[in-house]
Amino acid sequence: MSNIIINAQSLKKTYKTGMVEVNALNGVDFQVRQKEFTAVAGPSGSGKTTLLNLISGLDTPTSGTVQLNQKEISSMSGAELGDFRRDHIGFIFQSYNLIPVLTVTENIEYIMLLQGIKKNERHRRVKKILSEVGLEGTGNRKPIELSGGQQQRVAIARAIVSRPNIILADEPTANLDSKTGRELLQIMQTLNQKLGITFVFSTHDHMIMSHARRLVWIHDGQIEKDEVREQPCQGG
Amino acid sequence: MILYKKPCKPTKFSSIVENKSKYAPPVAVYIKLAWRNLFRNKRRTLLSVLAIGVGIAALIFVDALLIGWKDNMIHTATATFMGQGQVHHKGFLETLEVDKTIDHPGKKINKLKSNPDIQQITCRTRSFGMIASPGNVQSIIINGIDPETEKNMSKLDEAIIKGNFSGKNNGHNKMLIGKKLAEILEVTPGDKVTLTVAQAKTGNTAQEMFRIGGIFEFKVREMDTSMAFIDLHQSQKLLGINKDVHEIAFTFKDITLSTQVNHPVWSLLGYSDIETLSWLELMPELKAMLSWLNVSMLIMTIILFGIVAAGIVNTLFMSLYERMFEFGVLRAVGTRPGNLAFLIVLEAGSLAVISAVAGSVMGAILVYIFSKEGLDYSDTEFVNVAIIDRIYPVMASHQFMIYPLSLILFTMVIGLYPAIHAAKITPAKAMKK
Repeated sequence: MSNIIINAQSLKKTYKTGMVEVNALNGVDFQVRQKEFTAVAGPSGSGKTTLLNLISGLDTPTSGTVQLNQKEISSMSGAELGDFRRDHIGFIFQSYNLIPVLTVTENIEYIMLLQGIKKNERHRRVKKILSEVGLEGTGNRKPIELSGGQQQRVAIARAIVSRPNIILADEPTANLDSKTGRELLQIMQTLNQKLGITFVFSTHDHMIMSHARRLVWIHDGQIEKDEVREQPCQGG
Repeated sequence: MILYKKPCKPTKFSSIVENKSKYAPPVAVYIKLAWRNLFRNKRRTLLSVLAIGVGIAALIFVDALLIGWKDNMIHTATATFMGQGQVHHKGFLETLEVDKTIDHPGKKINKLKSNPDIQQITCRTRSFGMIASPGNVQSIIINGIDPETEKNMSKLDEAIIKGNFSGKNNGHNKMLIGKKLAEILEVTPGDKVTLTVAQAKTGNTAQEMFRIGGIFEFKVREMDTSMAFIDLHQSQKLLGINKDVHEIAFTFKDITLSTQVNHPVWSLLGYSDIETLSWLELMPELKAMLSWLNVSMLIMTIILFGIVAAGIVNTLFMSLYERMFEFGVLRAVGTRPGNLAFLIVLEAGSLAVISAVAGSVMGAILVYIFSKEGLDYSDTEFVNVAIIDRIYPVMASHQFMIYPLSLILFTMVIGLYPAIHAAKITPAKAMKK
């Protein structure tokens, strides 16, 4: 149990829409271990994004507990949670979520600025990471000047540049063509295998699912199936 | 195919939560973000800056106009006839009793002249009288003046619209009367009138014939209807007060000295039966009017500020609420709630700074133009003070400090509401917006 880094117990999340209550998650137990490459799969509205939001502290559960490295998330202040995410969690969102008024370099640099990393080191890392995700020469462009695939690469660069322990990706390939999706998957696999970065991503992309070592099926706010594969597909 | 070469090495997870990294809020990047966000929607920002700036410019202009207005009223009130200070026998002003004279006025004048702040001095007699023409009879206040010294004290010379005033003419004494009084008496320059006054000590009536030397118009109804001027020596003779006078009027080299209650001039003469009063005491209604103008300015400031504030609130809330999603992203990647609030307040402050600068420039241009041209309010009369000259707005440093700084402060306070809201909202909820 010592390598469990996220431990969610009896997670419930209810949204109120007018007079209607919707149970997005209904008593979910979910653990994430170090170095896992986990896909959370399920149809739209099944609770995938809600689960990712709750285990990263982006949202608060209606009931249940989330422990990050054995510390209860509800006991953390907003600033503590912010610091935690800044230092240990990288996010990749379906719609990239880059800051439109910042350039590619500035978007990638932002978390390092929050971490207080010196200018020279920041620039060195940005240069290196841009080359690694195949975006050399785009540093001064604004996100709007890039294609969807390029923007998602920037999002990946932003997520990994601060050297997080876990990356949470919410349907990272949903807005990309299959070729770009495969390329991004390969980057994620490389990061997982070579650096031991833990990946948890929600998806209904079969290609991504087929490469996950652990596949968690979620339906109507409950985990239906949690399977660990010995030999998932490799490469793109 | 992207080849992943040398990935960054992640930190050890054991450091989670327990070992907080050193935190340095990147103020420079927040300033950059705030500034760029402001110019994201250039047209909206420009319109907002214009709307807020016009409000500030209006505040500056109204303030400058009121200063000019006050200066104009004070100048008109004091320069028309009254002077900035007057010496009387105690109780004279209440009754205009002929007996309440200032004896040995020469001594008093010399004392006043000894003060270096005094500029002009003149002596007058004042009493009630009855003026009769073949056409009508009217009770008036008859003023005996020294034309030479009066010239430097009042605007009587400038107010003469017909004829002139130079003492005796063809054996008949000359008199200056107001335009409306001339209409009542149905007289023109050269016509004869009879003046009847009560003499000092005996109370006997004295009568003398005068010829209308000129007609004046101060555009102050009271003065134009019931005032007449004759030569000082003639009036002294007519009233039987020898060389005594009823009034010594004076002006200061600097008008602001006249409002200093501790100025030595007010206690300079030191006679128990003589009082020296400033224009503020002589015209309490003008003093009240000036206070009213200050209150008006305050009300106008509140209204204009309210309009400007509504513009700011609208712009700020529209701009911030439509970007709640981005604030969610900033929170998600590790921005502390307090720093997000700081960013939003900074953005609000930036809008205010630009608007304040634009408003100040517009206000300065507006005030400069009108301070050269002036505004024509002639034929307007307030509390017996006619606006004769054009009103020239007066630029003052406080206009460019108080209003712009208040606006910046106010905007930042207003900005706190969406800032706190964005800081408190969960990132997931914000990203759904």
